[in-house]
Amino acid sequence: MRVLVVEDEPDVLRAVALFLREEGYYVDTAENGDDGLYKGVTWDYDAILLDVMLPRRDGWSVLSELRRQKKSTPVLMLTARDAVKDRVRGLDTGADDYLVKPFELSELVARVRALIRRSAGKSEPVIVIGNVSIDTTSRTVSVDGNPVALTAKEYCLLEFLAVHRGELVTRTKIYDHLFDECDSSLSNLVDVYVSNIRRKVGRELITTRRGMGYIIEG
Amino acid sequence: MFKSLRWRLQVWHTLVLLIVLTSFGAIVHRLHWQTRLQQVDAELDRTAGDVVSQIRRRMPRPPGPRMGGRRQFHRDDPRSEQVPPSDPHGVAKADATTPDGVVPEPHAESPADFVNPPPRERPYLGIDSGPLLAELEQLLHGDEGSGLYFVIWNEKGEQVLKSKLAPEIDYPHLQLGPNGRSIDTVRERRGHQVYRELIHAGPHREVRNLLVGRSLEPDMIAHRHSGWLLAATGLVILAAGTLGGGWLSARAIRPITAMTAAAEAISAQNLSERINVQETDSELGKLATVLNGTFDRLQFAFERQQQFTADASHELRTPLSVISAHTELALSRPRSGEDYRTALETCQRASQRMRTLIDSLLVLARFDSGTPALKQDRLDLEPLIQDSVALVQTLAEARGIHLESQTQPCDLLGDWDRLSQVVTNLLTNAIRYNVDGGQVMITNRIEKGQAIVSVKDTGIGIATDQLPRIFDRFYQVDKARSRAEGSCGLGLSICKTIVEAHGGTISVTSEPDVGTTIEVRLPLPDRLVAQGHLASDEAQLVSAMPEQPV
Repeated sequence: MRVLVVEDEPDVLRAVALFLREEGYYVDTAENGDDGLYKGVTWDYDAILLDVMLPRRDGWSVLSELRRQKKSTPVLMLTARDAVKDRVRGLDTGADDYLVKPFELSELVARVRALIRRSAGKSEPVIVIGNVSIDTTSRTVSVDGNPVALTAKEYCLLEFLAVHRGELVTRTKIYDHLFDECDSSLSNLVDVYVSNIRRKVGRELITTRRGMGYIIEG
Repeated sequence: MFKSLRWRLQVWHTLVLLIVLTSFGAIVHRLHWQTRLQQVDAELDRTAGDVVSQIRRRMPRPPGPRMGGRRQFHRDDPRSEQVPPSDPHGVAKADATTPDGVVPEPHAESPADFVNPPPRERPYLGIDSGPLLAELEQLLHGDEGSGLYFVIWNEKGEQVLKSKLAPEIDYPHLQLGPNGRSIDTVRERRGHQVYRELIHAGPHREVRNLLVGRSLEPDMIAHRHSGWLLAATGLVILAAGTLGGGWLSARAIRPITAMTAAAEAISAQNLSERINVQETDSELGKLATVLNGTFDRLQFAFERQQQFTADASHELRTPLSVISAHTELALSRPRSGEDYRTALETCQRASQRMRTLIDSLLVLARFDSGTPALKQDRLDLEPLIQDSVALVQTLAEARGIHLESQTQPCDLLGDWDRLSQVVTNLLTNAIRYNVDGGQVMITNRIEKGQAIVSVKDTGIGIATDQLPRIFDRFYQVDKARSRAEGSCGLGLSICKTIVEAHGGTISVTSEPDVGTTIEVRLPLPDRLVAQGHLASDEAQLVSAMPEQPV
């Protein structure tokens, strides 16, 4: 899952980005509104964490511009203002959730997870496909009730395919969502991860559409 | 309810109306009675004249040579024309009617004036009193009864003739007026009746006193009726006036009620509500305008306060979130010693930032609460500036900025610590928002009774549209740069607050990419005294001080 964090306070930004990465998210960062808007419009993120008080262009403006450009990426507003009217304004402008500083990082991550799940139209935290069950909260996978050990990357790929089950997931999309700016999309890393998942969870789960991508049949 | 303005207006209005109506009614009633009495008097007077002339007509004619006597009788008539002064008798007779009312003794020759001297009993005056009485009764009453009566006494005070209706009346020893008449209201004759009687003195010696009277009973009844009518009319007017007053007071109070409602609707949640001003020229319109002005200022102050609270809360939350996030991150899993060190350093920075912020907020809060603990020490600006320059020297050197000062001695009264804070703050800003290798120049001078400290830099400058706002709390021209410098946006507000508490002013001129100059003007002691900023003992201290060098 790929997340954009727009936050002008460098110390906060660093901590949030680091924590999300340790939770298995691929994190891009922006320190001002213009930069944040550019990245938010250009890339297809699973969620955007947006601070309200930003230099150059404030969070409200970034949000309304994103929505104006038909970007429906779920947005979690981060702000030090907790006045009710600020929250109402945020939700009315098109924010999906609202978190007031100072916040617990664990709460932040839980909200991001819920946000991504809801936006995929699946609000239950455990995804069950045949004999495979994926618990998105504890980030564990089990087959017939037996836990399976997956690496963080493998789990992320499986979860991504499972969340989008029934639809074709292209290699480009996988690179967009599961690899950050530093990874190269030219490598065949995805193929390696898919074969690892098949070996650990079962061959039938992921179907390859040659030349197009992968799909988990709904 | 009884304390309401409307109720009190109503009560006062009704009371005033009642008093006015009562007095007016009483006066009208009284005047009416007097008019009535005058009419009665005229009637009595007329009747008296008629009675006298009737009697005279029935008198036997006096002999020819005694014509003077007849003429004299005419002159004695109080209603007769002017007495010719040539006639000694006439003059004598006119004088005879003295104010003391005592009828003078008749002249010695008087009895000889009449052909037949009057007998002691009727028939009277030599006339057959029976027909005379009937004629007089006819004269008095006409065909219907008028209630009039008469009584005649002779000069000896004996009653010689009286009409049928006349009550028993003793010889009236009354004081007669200068015209020989007395008119009076007589009460309680024969029990309960009230009469109006006219006494005529001296038609001639046999008809010495003529009393004509009339009962006032019918007049009093009529007058009482008219009184009741007057009272009833007064009550109707009072009722109408009260209703009208009620309507008027309700009308006058209505805008006040509306204003009260509007003012009540204005609360912390709804400060934009205003009183609807319809007539700006009326007293209430002016009041509403004044109130609206007050509400405007209130709203402005409230919004500024809200903005300040929100900003302060935001500024406090940010370092708190840094600490919270970094401790949670560090504790979420085992880390290397280097990671913990980084986390702790970050937390330390954040806590220092919070401390600075809280200190600044406390300074502002103290000044806002109106009790700044400002010392009023006698101090010299020169060493103060030099100290501050020394303090920021390291910072300037780190940036490669040339810091220069041109100072002169300048005594004034103030708080050394606070003024140092101002100068240090201005110098720090001049260094922070400067270009690398730039210059900062601080000078002080005395001009027009003011000590002026000027800090000039060759920095990035401030755009014209942002200049008016730089003294606002939490206003930062370049947020990212300010944050990197560890500034919270309160420094210049604090400078302004401190300078103004010293009775001075602070101003800024700037040109982007050229530099900024900030000037602080502080009043010199004699001006301070004139402005009443000092207590009297300090004022004495100042007056004892030598003249300031200029």
